[in-house]
Amino acid sequence: MAPPVSTPKSASPSQPSGKSEVTDLKLQLRQLAGSRAPGADDAKRDLFKRVISCMTVGIDVSPAFSEMVMCSATSDVVLKKMCYLYVGNYARCNPDLALLTINFLQKDCHDQDPTIRGLALRSLCSLRVQNLVEYLVAPLAAGLKDHSSYVRTVAAIGVLKLYHISATMCHDSDFPAALKALMLSDPDAQVVANCLYSLLEIWTQDAANSDEAAREIEALYGKSIIYYLLNRIKDFSEWAQCLVLDLVSKYIPSDNNEIFDMMNLLEDRLQHANGAVVLATIKVFLHLTMSMTDVHQQVYERIKAPLLTLVGAGSPEQSYAVLCHLHLLVMRAPMLFSSDYKHFYCQFSDPSYVKKLKLEMLTAIANESNTYEIVTELCEYAGNVDVPIARESIRAVGKIALQQYDVNAIVDRLLQFLEMEKDYVTAETLVLVKDLLRKYPQWSHDCIAVVGNISSNSIQEPKAKAALIWMLGEYSQDMMDAPYVLESLVENWEEEHSPEVRLHLLTAVMKCFFKRAPETQKALGAALAAGLADNNQDVHDRALFYYRLLQYDVAVAERVVNPPKQAVSVFADTQSSEIKDRIFDEFNSLSVVYQKPSYLFTDKEHRGPFEFSEDLSNLAIGGDSGDDVIHSAQRYEENDKDLLLSTSDKEENGGPTHNGSSTYSAPSDVNSSTSLVSSSTTQPAAFAIDDLLGLGVLDTPALPPLPALSLNAKPVLDPGTFQKKWGQLTVSSSQESTLSIQGVASLTAPQSLIKHMQNNSIQCIASGGQPPNYKFFFFAQKEGSSSFFLVECIVNTASAKAQIKIKADDASASDAFASLFQSALSNFGSS
Amino acid sequence: MWNPDILVSRTRHSFFIHQLVGAPTSHLFSDLQKYKEKKTPIYPTDFNRIRTEGEEMPVAASAIYFLNLRGDVLINRLYRDDVGGNMVDAFRMHIMQTKEMGTCPVRQIGGCSFFYMRISNVYIVIVVSSNANVACAFKFVVEAVALFKSYFGGAFDEDAIRNNFVLIYELLDEIMDFGYPQNLSPEILKLYITQEGVRSPFSSKQPLERAVPNATLQVTGAVGWRREGLVYKKNEVFLDIVESVNLLMSSKGSVLRCDVTGKILMKCFLSGMPDLKLGLNDKIGLEKESEMKSRPIKSGKTIELDDVTFHQCVNLTRFNTEKTVSFVPPDGEFELMKYRITEGVNLPFRVLPTIKELGRTRMEVNVKVKSVFGAKIFALGVVVKVPVPKQTAKTSFQVTSGKAKYNASIDSIVWKIRKFPGQTEATMSAEVELISTMVEKKSATRPPIQMEFQVPMFTASGLRVRFLKVWEKSGYNTVEWVRYITRAGSYEIRC
Repeated sequence: MAPPVSTPKSASPSQPSGKSEVTDLKLQLRQLAGSRAPGADDAKRDLFKRVISCMTVGIDVSPAFSEMVMCSATSDVVLKKMCYLYVGNYARCNPDLALLTINFLQKDCHDQDPTIRGLALRSLCSLRVQNLVEYLVAPLAAGLKDHSSYVRTVAAIGVLKLYHISATMCHDSDFPAALKALMLSDPDAQVVANCLYSLLEIWTQDAANSDEAAREIEALYGKSIIYYLLNRIKDFSEWAQCLVLDLVSKYIPSDNNEIFDMMNLLEDRLQHANGAVVLATIKVFLHLTMSMTDVHQQVYERIKAPLLTLVGAGSPEQSYAVLCHLHLLVMRAPMLFSSDYKHFYCQFSDPSYVKKLKLEMLTAIANESNTYEIVTELCEYAGNVDVPIARESIRAVGKIALQQYDVNAIVDRLLQFLEMEKDYVTAETLVLVKDLLRKYPQWSHDCIAVVGNISSNSIQEPKAKAALIWMLGEYSQDMMDAPYVLESLVENWEEEHSPEVRLHLLTAVMKCFFKRAPETQKALGAALAAGLADNNQDVHDRALFYYRLLQYDVAVAERVVNPPKQAVSVFADTQSSEIKDRIFDEFNSLSVVYQKPSYLFTDKEHRGPFEFSEDLSNLAIGGDSGDDVIHSAQRYEENDKDLLLSTSDKEENGGPTHNGSSTYSAPSDVNSSTSLVSSSTTQPAAFAIDDLLGLGVLDTPALPPLPALSLNAKPVLDPGTFQKKWGQLTVSSSQESTLSIQGVASLTAPQSLIKHMQNNSIQCIASGGQPPNYKFFFFAQKEGSSSFFLVECIVNTASAKAQIKIKADDASASDAFASLFQSALSNFGSS
Repeated sequence: MWNPDILVSRTRHSFFIHQLVGAPTSHLFSDLQKYKEKKTPIYPTDFNRIRTEGEEMPVAASAIYFLNLRGDVLINRLYRDDVGGNMVDAFRMHIMQTKEMGTCPVRQIGGCSFFYMRISNVYIVIVVSSNANVACAFKFVVEAVALFKSYFGGAFDEDAIRNNFVLIYELLDEIMDFGYPQNLSPEILKLYITQEGVRSPFSSKQPLERAVPNATLQVTGAVGWRREGLVYKKNEVFLDIVESVNLLMSSKGSVLRCDVTGKILMKCFLSGMPDLKLGLNDKIGLEKESEMKSRPIKSGKTIELDDVTFHQCVNLTRFNTEKTVSFVPPDGEFELMKYRITEGVNLPFRVLPTIKELGRTRMEVNVKVKSVFGAKIFALGVVVKVPVPKQTAKTSFQVTSGKAKYNASIDSIVWKIRKFPGQTEATMSAEVELISTMVEKKSATRPPIQMEFQVPMFTASGLRVRFLKVWEKSGYNTVEWVRYITRAGSYEIRC
């Protein structure tokens, strides 16, 4: 046997090895197993407790499995519970032994005491052993009909557990239908809630390949079930209320009266002590009133108070969760919150994640009436001991300055920051002054006077230095010593590590040269020489370009490098409105906290570099130490190689690589160095290196023939934009197509076709109609570009014909898309 | 049994309809029509009624971990298989052992999201694999901890967890099944939980005579938070109005922000199924009452509540129509309501600081504190923390009452006054000598002066309990006790 390679697992050093203890426990359990002595149960309790505490600290007590099962034949509830716990923990690793427990668990499922019946059923369902499912069906069916509501709640979730072990078994026993019946009739609200949890999960997972499930899901969002749940809402526990409210938020009412009825019914939920219920209610209100502008605004006014209360109450984590939602609302409608700015003042003791959100909100709601107060407050934070927050607040002041028309006072404040003589304050301020000058060139005089006093030596941060150098170049005519400052910077070229700064320096010297040629000539020569000799490709290229430009014609060079500029009117928003709407749709979820739509963090292809979690999850819990560590290390490597491979594949396709960035963050040294090589060398060499690593790369990369047009798998387009585009664009292609017979047969509900088209990267934005006529609006996006295709498709199932109208941003690709769409449509039903 | 087409509450009483009736309805409808007109040419009329496609599944927690500060797992429960057993390693490696620990309580690693909270010396971590409901998760943790505390008798820390493994496992199984929250109400859990908590020796057990819980008792959906058949020899209700007052005052002495968050805590030892009604001196309640009884409001102070939330036992429909707080209380201790007030707050203390920098190495600090509540009441445990620079070398004080001390670990002068009578003032003057350094050219903005205090029998909001009526069919007499206390929340004065 190989000697143990790595150190034992983390928990072990501080704890006893446990070997001898387990043997000891086994022995004692064996002695007690058959005993019916009066004190035996108490002794057993103590022993069981010891076993469980061993289990908790990570000692593997599974060897005592059979002894535990022997001792479990008892009428003592306390003992039974501990035994269930033990069995639940170890059954998965010992499926054979788990079989031993089935017997007594099944017996307990018929116990007189409902508590024991429930517990036994829960344990039985939690064994999670594939070959034991057949024993589950009968107790579950009985559990769903049990007269104790406790057992029924357990059984309702039990069905879901069964579904996760064996979906077919669950369907064969017709459990979903039973759950549905139970949900609609059970007097106990918790049973109803658990049925709902299970059904939603089962049917949503099935909906992808079963139309029936899709229909059932539709029915759950239908009027009758929603009303049934709403009418009982007060019976539900606070958690179940969250579930129901979430369901309700997806319901589509037929008219405004219905909307008002629902809102009146739910109005009092806003006073619920549980913040989660309040947020869920807010979501319902916001979504219900989306199409009614005035009422939507009223909703904002109404929910303000509860939200502010929630922010102030509870732990910092809770208020953070609420604050994230408030942040979202503030960003959507800043004017509505402009008078509440004082609520967003930071407390000294607020954690920094709270402060950051508050700063952003203060920035957003600043308007003519409150700017003075807000900026005064922000200036207070600039001296904050928490440096990142100080930086944020300076940035916030700058952002407000860029939003406002009356920036007079704000500029003064900013310039005062420069006098604070703190590196980071100066650095942030310089960047801001630069942006401010780009928008309001008329302020140059005041700013330059102050900026001119700053010694370029005192600034270390590349961004700030670049900003200063830009100003030196741009306003060299107003700054007496600009050429000389630039000259000294050029002299220290070697010491400047950031390419960004060197690039800016080149441009600034050029600009300065056009304005004050005699003074700058020497510096320009030195800068170009240094640039040409630079290691950085970009710097080198720019220097060369300037050099040749000057050689060609100085006047042209000036027109290129220093043309008259127009003031920037609006700085680009970083997040598109589509993304924002997506996030708003997913109100009351993680999307709001992460500030990105859920597909960006739940779908695998969008996730960041931390792909190791799957590997970690494969490791068995509490397993032996050495092997696992080696194993995981190997997996890391494999994983990295996968990434590497995928990068080179992508380079082959010539597309922009998203995954490329993840290659660089590969954890192990070997891999990161190879990845650098592979990305900087030419393709064949990269393959050779891959081969060296033993990846077995194909000699001839067998790439699938590229389709003429590839579509973005997850395009994002909100209805508003769709509507706008549809109105603007002209019909680029109008066709009639025939559906296959299978296709017509599958088209019992719009849902099925929508699913099918989604698989072909064509998304549905709206659908409607009754048989035989259906109308769909689809859209798709060309891969790697922003051009959209919009489609109106009217299907008549009686004649099996489809009328297609296509509008495209890029009309040239329209035909290619039309054929793609047609082929997708004709495939419908055949798969 | 239920009519699917009708929502039970069709009475139009509340907010939205009020607003809408107030506004000219025709205006609203014309707007709606315009909206429709705009849409119809292009879309089927039900365009907006289409749900966006996407994941519609409820999200369950995959696992819950309790870790100590070193990152050792104290106890854990894996509810689902969709995350691995070693997620905790990822948490340790990428969150605990980095500087990011304090930066955000929600983090994503790989495909999983981690919600974590520190409570005394324990981290509680919830792991989910998809787009979960954050507010719900944190609330669940808070409630669960409160539940554990009620079993352990107050403390929730590493030791309490180690002493109560089995109990916690039992509780975790009952309060969450397959990752979905179940019943967290202590009353109902008592029926299913077999273990008793190991209480810390210092916690006092409630000397209560209680009806022996009947294990087969059915808890109906009607009053889920209260068992039937409770009997007490002496029927008592304790009401605690606890307010915390938050203040942020600028260095010029103007109030930047000020509010009061209050809660009404209740301890009920009542037999049977009592119906309680609570009357407060809030403006809306009083107005409603006078309107109903058609008599003018008695003179006296009324206060305006910005926002109220209630325990689930309070009948919210009745609150909305009649503005009275009526409820069937749970047995024992619970939080009846929470409220927030921003207008007309009575600040219990005024703080007047003057700080002078005398050259590079000397500072003079003068703080005057005035109590502005009634002369007959006292504030207890008053602490004033005056921040001083890091390079403080020596301090000397003069105080008119209490004791002052320099605490280097928090860079502050801590001035404590055990008992502070109303309508008085106290001053502290201190001289601070600094080590001269070249590093800090100019002092940064100083952190604010912070204050702690408790003022019994005083509410910063002015809230008063006017009556508490208990009605039970057996018609017993009840003794009601009411206490008021105001504490400092974050009471900050910039200087």
